Amino acid sequence: MATVQVSEAEKVYILHGIRDDLRVDGRGCEDYRHMEVETDVVSNTDGSAKVTLGHTAVLVGIKAEIGKPRPMVANEGYLEFFVDCSANATPEFEGRGGEELGTELSNTLYKVFNNQHSLDLKSLCISPGEHCWVLYVDVLLLQCDGNLYDSISVAIKAALFITKIPRVHISSDEEGGKEIELSDDPYDCMRLDVENVPCIVTLCKIGHRHVVDATLQEKACSVASLIISVTHKGIITCSRKVGRGSLDPESICEMIETGKRVGKALHPPLMKLLQQEESLGKKRQKVGFLG
Amino acid sequence: MLKSKTFVKKTRSGGVLKVVREHYLRDDIWCGSEVCTECKQDSTVLQRDACIESSLCPYPHYLVPDTNVVLHQIDVLEDPVIRNVIILQTVLQEVRHRSAPVYKRLKDIIHEQGRHFYTFTNEHHRETFIEREPGESANDQNDRAIRVAVKWYSQHLKTPESGPDGLKVVLLTNDQGNKLKAEETGVVVYKFDEYIKSLIGNPELVDCLALSNDDKNEITSSKVLFPEHLPLSKVQAGIKSGSFLQGTFRASRDNYLEATVFVQGEGEDSTEVLIQGLQNLNRAVHQDVVAVQLLPKNQWVAPSSVVLQDDGAAKDDNVDEDEEEKVLTGALTETARRATGKVVGIIKRNWRPFCGMLNVSQIKESTRHLFTPADRRIPRIRIETRQASTLAGQRIMVAIDGWPKDSRYPNGHFVRSLGAAGEKDTEEEVLLLEHDVPHQAFSQAVLSFLPKMPWSITPEDMAQRQDLRHLTVCSVDPPGCTDIDDALHCRELENGKLEVGVHIADVSHFIRPGNALDKEAANRGTTVYLCGKRIDMVPELLSSNLCSLRSNVERFAFSCIWEMNHKAEILKTRFTKSVINSKASLTYAEAQMRIDDANKNDDITESLRGLNKLAKILKKKRIENGALTLSSLEVRFHMDSETHDPIDLQTKELMETNSMVEEFMLLANISVAQKIYEEFPESALLRKHPAPPPSNYDILIKAAKSKNVMIHTDSAKALADSLDGAKVDGFQYFNTLLRILATRCMMPAVYFCSGMDSDFHHYGLASPIYTHFTSPIRRYADIIVHRLLAVAISADGTYPDLMDKHKQSALCNNLNYRHKMSQYAQRSSVAFHTQLFFKTRGILNEKGFVLFVRKNAIIVLIPKFGLEGTVFFDSKDKASPNLVFDEEGPTLKVEQHTFHIFDQVKVTISLDDSNIQHQKIRMALIEPVIPGVSVPAPEAEPQAKKRKLDR
Repeated sequence: MATVQVSEAEKVYILHGIRDDLRVDGRGCEDYRHMEVETDVVSNTDGSAKVTLGHTAVLVGIKAEIGKPRPMVANEGYLEFFVDCSANATPEFEGRGGEELGTELSNTLYKVFNNQHSLDLKSLCISPGEHCWVLYVDVLLLQCDGNLYDSISVAIKAALFITKIPRVHISSDEEGGKEIELSDDPYDCMRLDVENVPCIVTLCKIGHRHVVDATLQEKACSVASLIISVTHKGIITCSRKVGRGSLDPESICEMIETGKRVGKALHPPLMKLLQQEESLGKKRQKVGFLG
Repeated sequence: MLKSKTFVKKTRSGGVLKVVREHYLRDDIWCGSEVCTECKQDSTVLQRDACIESSLCPYPHYLVPDTNVVLHQIDVLEDPVIRNVIILQTVLQEVRHRSAPVYKRLKDIIHEQGRHFYTFTNEHHRETFIEREPGESANDQNDRAIRVAVKWYSQHLKTPESGPDGLKVVLLTNDQGNKLKAEETGVVVYKFDEYIKSLIGNPELVDCLALSNDDKNEITSSKVLFPEHLPLSKVQAGIKSGSFLQGTFRASRDNYLEATVFVQGEGEDSTEVLIQGLQNLNRAVHQDVVAVQLLPKNQWVAPSSVVLQDDGAAKDDNVDEDEEEKVLTGALTETARRATGKVVGIIKRNWRPFCGMLNVSQIKESTRHLFTPADRRIPRIRIETRQASTLAGQRIMVAIDGWPKDSRYPNGHFVRSLGAAGEKDTEEEVLLLEHDVPHQAFSQAVLSFLPKMPWSITPEDMAQRQDLRHLTVCSVDPPGCTDIDDALHCRELENGKLEVGVHIADVSHFIRPGNALDKEAANRGTTVYLCGKRIDMVPELLSSNLCSLRSNVERFAFSCIWEMNHKAEILKTRFTKSVINSKASLTYAEAQMRIDDANKNDDITESLRGLNKLAKILKKKRIENGALTLSSLEVRFHMDSETHDPIDLQTKELMETNSMVEEFMLLANISVAQKIYEEFPESALLRKHPAPPPSNYDILIKAAKSKNVMIHTDSAKALADSLDGAKVDGFQYFNTLLRILATRCMMPAVYFCSGMDSDFHHYGLASPIYTHFTSPIRRYADIIVHRLLAVAISADGTYPDLMDKHKQSALCNNLNYRHKMSQYAQRSSVAFHTQLFFKTRGILNEKGFVLFVRKNAIIVLIPKFGLEGTVFFDSKDKASPNLVFDEEGPTLKVEQHTFHIFDQVKVTISLDDSNIQHQKIRMALIEPVIPGVSVPAPEAEPQAKKRKLDR
């Protein structure tokens, strides 16, 4: 992971600031940096979104393909995650440098979505036991400036929101042979209900307090963080501790409470933004990667 | 400006793929009109003064047809009267997608400069591009694109000075909804038939109109005659599940109420399903691909032996068809029953324009008439025309538009007239059309790829080729041959060995892969030789001039040069592109005379003698190897130089020099086949001749047995030997007859791609590998072989299609088809000229031999004319004599006389022209005399002889 060198004096400065609920860039402990979301940025995906948070930039593309349902859950589709740490983001990712982080991130994403609440997987089923939609969620890290988890989760939610899956129907003959038929209207699409898709909140333990959306400098001052994924109702779908250090039980409870509160508050403005963007339709000026 | 086109499609493996294509819009697409001052175009296609005399549009106007108009009314659009037409890209693309033949015809019109057809790429034009809207179907989008383009055109061409009578753009559509929407946007729009009917100067175009859907209803009564066809999706599902069978519909020649459907199974396992009765045939037309459902076994029937022709007056649609079908049900023996089915759906129509004649309706004022196609397997077609009286007695072409389920006959429209029936040109045209021989003049696009004249050999050409101009090369061909594609030389080398060269016209130098000329040649596949006419595969400039290896001019050649010893054993083989200068173009007879004339000792003659000597050794070796010498009678007509009518005919004579040329061609072909197969084991184009299944020989063995001759057919060698040994004293012609019969037992030789097949053997030539290399002017296969060989010796570059075995294989299929059709056309042409010949001769009587014995007839071969005819013993109007057919012999006992194969008979020959569409040679028996069956020898003969002397 991208790291910065922070001197002892700086660390003390940051620590003291956080103790007084005033961070280096002027934020409070529970404030996010400025966040930008744009959807439908890659035309040959079924849904895509780009999120920048501070200088962190991630791109998520979703491709829907027809696959076979998993044997245990014959009437559900599934998601596949892949995180690509581009060497663009930081030179450390060059070669196979980003592989470990990529695996760690995608494993976390599997855990976050491994529940009944986040996405209605049954809607991805085409014919039970035979065909279902598999959503390949590809995450590309474009720039690392701390707090990858949160920005990835927001980007995934935005990309799932805009994902358009071509509507298919199964025609079967009297012999039981099944044929997938595709509508020839490109506007005839299925949309996903993303209301319950969780967002990840990373809480960084710095000194005795914890902060949301830590910058790289702040991160360098912390020994452990807790990531929790929260739905809009405040349900926690997953929590993990990352970092070398340990957390005492009391502060874990505190951090979970903060996480819930921050997470819950994250959803409504995001949804509002996404709906607003979509209502612009074709008139929307695309920003893309050059904006 | 960049837009992207997005669509989803299903992949072959069942997945769903989203495809995004970039789509660039431009502002430099010009309108192509002379009137326009805004567009910066170099040349214009559409005229300023675009006038067609129309009562609807008195002002000058451009026409914009929509897709369906182009698809269905291409016959009208092809008429030279229709000019100044804008073909939108949207229309062009959809036509291409929906019908390849129509697309080709449309492209041909667009290329014709005098027609002023302009292609407007509206989908890339900044102002006429539209994006698909939610809820809009692909068709609606196209219709809208067309309307937008027309709207743009009409505004674009509107100049301040043009008043109400200024230039306008007229949209032609048959779609009512589209028309209404177009009117709303203020576009001038007419229905296509409306517009064509308004053309004051050209009323005959109305006949060419294809019937549109709403017209069809008025023609027919409301009674439903046929069961509905199943939709394609159901048909496909049925075929998948096995409840339906898919096959090619083959109507019976003799009985219009009967057909078979040929179902191609896995490998050899193919079946035929019998279809009987109008209802079960259910509007399928010969060659359609149909889905059939088998009937329950108790309803299976046997093929009827009755000859039934659908003639007489047009039957009312209400006619009770039971009446017609009563004739069908005969005695049913259990063994004769065959799998019987009914047509439930049409998978693919294979309609083409059909040649035939009009049966003029008895009702004087009627405009609806029935059309009888020349091909008996095609049903009669109902057409609408006002020029019936002029068309009667003419050969015409008619296209089928559709066959509604409440109509007894399919509906069609008149395409064009070919000329008066029975005339030579007309009949020639008919036979070319009926055998699907492409014979139109070469299009401008094709001709544009010809080398510019005057053509000469450049130093660069010389650098790439071996200079063989000093060699004494000469060509030997039949008299009158102008497309000389092979030349030979032979000389003694200093080491005492012989050098033999076969030089083949280098056609592949002029025909480059993939251009229009190449595509046209690939489609034509072969040059077709008719009596007194040649339908070239490549334009004449190439076939008779630049490629033809004429004497005393420098020509490019592809040479195959062997070093041989005097025993004709090949020591070295070498292939090279070369330049040659033939010293003489000889005929077979001239060459023969030179060889025989002991006084001549010039280089050419010496070369010929050397070749001849080697050829004899080669032939002997080949025959020892088991190559077959088969025989078929070929006739040549002596034509009157002015009328081109046949004056006399003779069977072709074979000279030593014929076989000399043939031997070296075979040798070259085999050498090349080995070379290209060695280099390209996956994609060599070869020719094989499969061994016939043993049952094919039954008739030959039986026939020979009747003369106490044994024929062994275990191998080609055994067959060749026993044919050589087959002689009967006092019956000189017996051997030839046997060979003719043996020829009929053979399988056809075919082209194939080496990567797609494992059996390469050429049975007739007893060669393990064979190809065609020596006639690239008249066969496309040879051009491909040339290209392969050129790549193999690095004389030329390759291209992807050459190495693609699937494309190669598809090409082979076309070549095999064209080859087969050209042979049929050739035979029909000979038959037609034979008829012309006998027309002027009256009745002749000639000696002949029985070639086959059938249940009710014998087939007689007249060696003098190479003519085969059938003597029927039963006829409709007479009581048939007592006939006993013995399949074992086979023999046929007529009253007291028994006919065997090879019996000598005497017959009268005359032309039966009672049916003008199907003239035929009629034969009747004179000897042996069978009372009540044979006819007395006619006295007309001496008279005919006298006439012959008069000339």
